[in-house]
Amino acid sequence: MIDPDADLVRNIGAGDARAAEALVHRHLPRMVGLARRMLGDAAEAEDVAQDVFLRVWREAPRWKPGAAKFETWMHRVALNLCYDRLRRRREKPDPDAGVNVADGGLLPADQWLARQRAARVDAALAALPERQRAAIVLVHYQDLTNIAAAEMLDVSVEALESLLARGRRALKAALADVVDDLIGDADGAPRA
Amino acid sequence: MDRERFDHLLAAYGGDFGRWPAKERAAAAAFVAQSIEAATALKEARALDDALDQARAEPNVSALAARILARAPRSDMGFDRRAVLALAACAVFGIVLGYGGGMLAPADMDDGYFSAAFEAPLLIGDEG
Repeated sequence: MIDPDADLVRNIGAGDARAAEALVHRHLPRMVGLARRMLGDAAEAEDVAQDVFLRVWREAPRWKPGAAKFETWMHRVALNLCYDRLRRRREKPDPDAGVNVADGGLLPADQWLARQRAARVDAALAALPERQRAAIVLVHYQDLTNIAAAEMLDVSVEALESLLARGRRALKAALADVVDDLIGDADGAPRA
Repeated sequence: MDRERFDHLLAAYGGDFGRWPAKERAAAAAFVAQSIEAATALKEARALDDALDQARAEPNVSALAARILARAPRSDMGFDRRAVLALAACAVFGIVLGYGGGMLAPADMDDGYFSAAFEAPLLIGDEG
């Protein structure tokens, strides 16, 4: 297995600032995206992504290519950090916490609609049980293989498929009107 | 592939065969081509995929990237490594040249040269 990050990580371990910049450029948006979908909070997602990279900086000098890709290791770290935060939320709920509501402001209608739809999807994801949400995030949004996602969740591929199927079924119910709107857009039919 | 297997994988991975297990993709595409019901189910799954993609916007991470990179490890020898090595090479060359030149000078004339160099001004001063 060829790890596309192997050279970068080796050079980061040797103190190469340009390698660090390249790794951040390659993976930071995906780490933020993963954490934002898992936590439903942009500021917390940035904290998680920063923690992931601080661990990368610390581990890079000792890192040796192994069975898993470096990106898979980063995803595992990010996911565990998200689980930690979700567990703390359960233990000590924040009354101000919640999914960000889309701020329409003075946007053109199509942009406003896109934001509303994105907010609906975020809310539907946030309403899923954690394991189902993680499965959907890893496979649909992070484009990880079923084997990598199952390994990250410490389940078999069959169990992953069960999580995905239950998650998608719940999302389909929660987003039925969004799905209908999009089909209407695609068919050129006027929206109700 | 039969309908039961197709439905199972479609329910899990959605309508993009790129997310399906690699070894099942060709069979799934062939199955859809011969089953109107499967093609309809695939279309519905893709509609949900499209809805999920409404929340796919990439975050703006430039400020965060700067904060993270400010804490990235940097080697002291990193950027100026070549300049440091060039200076070290010059120093070694200078030492070798100086030491070698000294070794090549006639040993029996050393003291005379030093005497001439340091004593001559002294004599001039005494005269004044």
